[in-house]
Amino acid sequence: MTVSAAQYHRPARLLHLIALRIRMEVLEWSGSWWFLLTLVVQAIVGPLIGMFVWSAVYPADPYVATYYVALLLVTVMTESFEQFTFSEKIYDGTISHDLLKPQPVIISTIGTNLAIRIWLTVMGIPVAVLTGLAFGVSLTWSAVLSALPVFAFGAILSFCWILLLSLTAFWTERVHSIVGFGWTLNFLFGGTIAPLAFLPGPLREIGQILPFYGMLGLPADVATGRVHGPPVLTGLAYQGAWIVVFSALAVVLWRAGIRRYTVVGA
Amino acid sequence: MTAVVVEDLCMTYRAPIRGSGWKETLSSVFNRQYREVPAVRNVSFTLAPGEVVGFIGPNGAGKTTTMKILSGLLHATSGHVQVLGFTPAQRRSDFLRRIAFIRGSQPVGGSQELTVLDTLRYQRLLYEVPPAEYRQSLAELTDLLDLEDLLQRQLRALSLGEKMRAGLALSLLYRPQMMFLDEPTLGLDVTGATTMRRFVAEYAEQTGATVLLTSHYMADVASLCPRLVLIDKGKVQYDGKLDELAAKLSPYKLVRLTAPNADEQRLRDAGELVEASNGTWVLRVPREEVARTTARLLTELDVADLAVEEAPLEAVIDRAYREGVG
Repeated sequence: MTVSAAQYHRPARLLHLIALRIRMEVLEWSGSWWFLLTLVVQAIVGPLIGMFVWSAVYPADPYVATYYVALLLVTVMTESFEQFTFSEKIYDGTISHDLLKPQPVIISTIGTNLAIRIWLTVMGIPVAVLTGLAFGVSLTWSAVLSALPVFAFGAILSFCWILLLSLTAFWTERVHSIVGFGWTLNFLFGGTIAPLAFLPGPLREIGQILPFYGMLGLPADVATGRVHGPPVLTGLAYQGAWIVVFSALAVVLWRAGIRRYTVVGA
Repeated sequence: MTAVVVEDLCMTYRAPIRGSGWKETLSSVFNRQYREVPAVRNVSFTLAPGEVVGFIGPNGAGKTTTMKILSGLLHATSGHVQVLGFTPAQRRSDFLRRIAFIRGSQPVGGSQELTVLDTLRYQRLLYEVPPAEYRQSLAELTDLLDLEDLLQRQLRALSLGEKMRAGLALSLLYRPQMMFLDEPTLGLDVTGATTMRRFVAEYAEQTGATVLLTSHYMADVASLCPRLVLIDKGKVQYDGKLDELAAKLSPYKLVRLTAPNADEQRLRDAGELVEASNGTWVLRVPREEVARTTARLLTELDVADLAVEEAPLEAVIDRAYREGVG
C-alpha cells in the first residue's frame, strides 16, 4: 500500500524535488554572479554579431532586428552548461553525493540547469530590452505567446543535447572541446550565423530537420510572427522527435558511463 | 539474517599504459594499451545486523573500493554483494534511504551556500522524514552534536570538524540502518574525534544500526569495533576479534612499574626492558609469563605502582601490514 501510494505521488514528488533543487541552486549560483555574467556575454555575442551583419545587408528589413532580439532572448533563456556542472561533478567525484541520494541524479542536473537559466534570464533581459529599443523592435503578444510551446520544447532539446555531450565526461577529460563542437553546430545551423530564411533552399530544408534550428531559430521565428500555422506544428514534431532521440541516447550513455565510473578523489 | 553479504568480490580497474618516447606515444594513438589493476580480490565476509566492524588495511588495500561497491557507487567486476537484502549497484531508492556513506574527506556534499538548517530541511523532504520525527531527531542531533551555533551558518563557512558534525547530522536525520564510515575522524582534533566516536557508538547502540568503519586511527577502531576485518592487497587477511588479533601478533604484554629504587639488572632478569625514565620502567614480558613475573616483581621490589598493558594497537597493526597475519 505504501509503495502504490509512493508511486501515485511520484510525479508530484519529483516536481517538488526539482523545485527545491532550483531554489538551492539559485542560492548556490548567486555567489558566482561574475561567472554567470561571462556566460551571458558569451550567449549574446553571437546574436548581436548576426544582427549587425544582416542589418547591414538588409537595412530596410525589420525582420532582421526583431529576429535577432528574439534569438538573443531565446539563447540566454535556454542555453545549457552541463559541461560546467554535471561533467565537473564526474571529474571531481562529487557526483557520488548525488548517487547516494534516493532520487534520480537527473533531478539535481535539471535543477542546476534551470537555476542557471533563471540567473541568465534575469541578467539577459535588460540587454535584450535595450537592444530592442535601440533598433526599434516590436514584438506582438500573440506571436510571443504562440512561440511558448516551441520555446519550451527548444529549451528541453537544448538541455538534452548538451547533457548528451557532457555525458562523454565518463570517457574523456576533453568534454569542453566536445561541447564546444556542439555549440559550433548550434551556431552554424541553429539560426545564429544567419536566419534559416536567408539560407539557400536545400540548406534551409536540411536546417529545418536538424535539431539545432528547433533549439534557437524556430522559437525566434515564431516569436517574430514569420513562422505560423502548420509549420509550427511541423517544427514541434521535429523537436519532439529529437528530444526522444537525445534522451534515449543520454540514457544509454548514462548506463554505460556509470558502470565505468571510478569515483576519482571521493 | 545478515545485514551485509560479500562473496568472492572482485574489482579490477583498467588503467591505460604507455611507454616513453615518440615511437611509443605515436603507437599508443592507434593502439591503446591497458593494464588491469586488481583493487579487490575475492573478498568475502558477512556482517550481522547491529555489528560495528572495523575494516582496516594500509593505503591502497581496497577498503574504500569495497565500501563504494557496498554503497552502490561502484559496479563490482565480479562477485555477489547484498546489503540489507538489496543489490547495491541497482541503487534502488528504498536501499539508498536505508544507508549512509560518510567520508571524512567530503563529509558534506551539495550546495555549499545553504545554511546547515536549510540543508537539514532539504534532507527531510528528500528522505520523506515525517515532520514530528524530524523535529525530534533535529533536537536530539543538535544536542548530541552541539549543532546549535552551526544551524544558521553556511556549509562553505564551516571548519572540517564542523562539517563532519553537520555531515553526521545530515546522514543520521533519516536514521539509516547501515552506516559506512570512511575515515570519519580524518583531520579532526582530539575533541572532535572523541565526539564523533562517542556519537557513533551511541547511535549504533540505540538504533541497532550496522556500522562498517575504515580508519587509519587505531583509536577509532579500538573504541568502536569489537570485530576487525583486515584487508591488504585486495584480500582479507584477518576477520575476527580485535583482542585475538593483538594476542596473535603480539605474544607479549607490557608491564609498567614505578619502583624508584629498583635494581636495573633485576628488572632485566624479569623481562626485556624497553623503556626507563625517572624510576618508571616498562618491561616486555611473554603473555604466559605475565602473572608469574608481576608476582615476582611485587615480591622482590619496592613497587609503588604497577600496570599490565597490551602492546599499542598501532604496533600490532603495523606488524600485520608489514609481516602479514600468518
